[in-house]
Amino acid sequence: MTTMSPSDGADPGTAAPDRPLLDVRGLRTYFHVMDGTVKAVDGVDFSIPPGGTVGLVGESGCGKSVTAHSIMRLIDIPPGEIAGGEIWFDGRDLLKLSDSEMRHVRGGEIAMVFQEPMTSLNPVFTIGDQISEAILLHNDVDKKEAAERAIESLKAVGVSAPERRVRQYPHELSGGMRQRAMIAMALSCNPKLVIADEPTTALDVTIQAQILELIKALQARTGTALLLITHDLAVVAETVQTIAVMYAGRIVEAGTVDQVLLAPQHPYTQGLLNSIPGVKKRGRALSVIKGVVPNPFRLPPGCKFQPRCPYAWEACTASEPDLLPASNGATSRCYLHSPEGASRREAFEKSVAVTMESVDG
Amino acid sequence: MDNRIPDVSPTTSDAPADFEVALVSLNQWQLAWRRFRRHKLAMFGSGLFLTFVAIAVFGPFILPYDATNVPYPLKFCPGTTISANLGCPPLNGGHLLGTVGGTQEDLLTLVVNGSRLSLAIGIGAAAFASVLGAIVGGISGYFGGWVDTILMRIVDVLLSMPLLFVIIVFAKVFGYGDWRVILLVFALLGWPAIARLVRSLFLTLRTEVFVDAARAVGVSDMRIIFRHILPNAMSPIIVVTTLSVAGFIVTEAFVSYIGYGVNAAYSPTWGNILSNAQNDILVGNWWWPLFPGLAIVLTVLGINFMGDGLRDALDPRSRE
Repeated sequence: MTTMSPSDGADPGTAAPDRPLLDVRGLRTYFHVMDGTVKAVDGVDFSIPPGGTVGLVGESGCGKSVTAHSIMRLIDIPPGEIAGGEIWFDGRDLLKLSDSEMRHVRGGEIAMVFQEPMTSLNPVFTIGDQISEAILLHNDVDKKEAAERAIESLKAVGVSAPERRVRQYPHELSGGMRQRAMIAMALSCNPKLVIADEPTTALDVTIQAQILELIKALQARTGTALLLITHDLAVVAETVQTIAVMYAGRIVEAGTVDQVLLAPQHPYTQGLLNSIPGVKKRGRALSVIKGVVPNPFRLPPGCKFQPRCPYAWEACTASEPDLLPASNGATSRCYLHSPEGASRREAFEKSVAVTMESVDG
Repeated sequence: MDNRIPDVSPTTSDAPADFEVALVSLNQWQLAWRRFRRHKLAMFGSGLFLTFVAIAVFGPFILPYDATNVPYPLKFCPGTTISANLGCPPLNGGHLLGTVGGTQEDLLTLVVNGSRLSLAIGIGAAAFASVLGAIVGGISGYFGGWVDTILMRIVDVLLSMPLLFVIIVFAKVFGYGDWRVILLVFALLGWPAIARLVRSLFLTLRTEVFVDAARAVGVSDMRIIFRHILPNAMSPIIVVTTLSVAGFIVTEAFVSYIGYGVNAAYSPTWGNILSNAQNDILVGNWWWPLFPGLAIVLTVLGINFMGDGLRDALDPRSRE
């Protein structure tokens, strides 16, 4: 199991400091579809301390969103199935809660911000109605008070003229404004954990920066824990303390931002960093990770990344490695960090050094 | 860490908003009403339909005769030597649409009184079918799985039932010619079609992100179905409901015409007036079937125009 300790700057929550707020253990989420079973998430472990911030990174289809939806139990069953694992949150296993208990957790204790601010607000209700609904569901207040708190929460996320915005419909707001409204809704009930599923992907670049700043500032002020899901390494670098990199349904590397992004310990992470275009690489062809993401119905034997991995040898096809401790303190699901891989590690580290040289910043 | 909340907007709420134009937030219904008002044919159709509704509601209080009481039996039609035994043509002696039958009933009074049940059955059955169809279709489409399978098989069975057969069975059980039985049967056989429509709308809408977002906030399933998804599905439901009012009015006329509908002795409807008229067409009493028939045609036409306008107004994409 990977334990991610809170690093500096985290606001210690009210819970016992040594117990993680969220502890996902061996989570397996499968989808049974016509052509077979897709193991979208296949044994994911990670934890978030109270007030901690964790980034879950990976390409499309690696299972990061499914992990988030599994935590919220928003997976449609069928075709989905949470086939195994435990999700401990604040002393309870979320997978064992009844539907009505789970409804109290959703929104009240864990809130979620979605990718598409254009579609995650209901077009037939005003912004105020939607925020008020969340407040009314989890607090013992009357409608008038809920409406006032909706205005306050919009003000807190930097929406101008909130008294007027609450009476407007989603189509009357810009994308950035809608995402602010979604964040206001998520924070309106003071949740202990906010899951942000690609919160900036659908926004244009200048708005992205503003929303990230906002999430960071609010996280620091309220002390809520944050699980940030993204495919954008630049986004996590600026926002979170620890990172978990996912590939084909499993975490392949985990560590602090500095560990993972400055000295990647898994060839996949290196490949991701290597494919970031940068000023220093101007004029050269973009480097890519060779091959494609494996077909979920026919996963390769052994390590899921080995068909695309330049360092792979026989051990990699024979069995899949565990998360092994790397020299810099991070963990990596790669045999390069096993005793047998020691001889090949030097070549990898040299190549990483070259990669890091070319990455801006 | 930076504790300041970045405020990108130059204006705060208490700053004077001098750039504020007429920012009136219109919801979907207000926007639809604005489009509907511009639709001339739809406004005409609505006017026609509402006129008939007004006639049905107020007409019987205004007319000098009542439905059953014959004013004064005449030997001859006024100003002629034609026997009044089979009724007199329109515009005679205070009878605008003429009189009909051996009892010389005032046709205008009959048609006006008949409009009450004809419209009540049409509107009532459509409303009943829509509410039931929306509930069943919504639950079926939202939950899917075995709930959906069971409900949709019930729908399939009901859709395969012949209307006349069901009416005869119900008439046997609950009483012949009772308008409430007719309304019940119409609603019972009408809701499955609406349920299918609503289910298909829900199958699409339930995959929308705002549904996940509502669930993520902790909204219950029933509240999501009826408060979050249903309002998004309302436009097609309203259009279909409106058009089915017309359908039920025609069906009532048909069923009553062939004698399985509302009993004329109980209360007139446009259908049973036509039914009684059929023999007298042969002796040349053209006005007897003409006026109730015209009432049906104008009402149904009005509703259909209204439905077309609603379709355009509620779904802006359907227009050019």
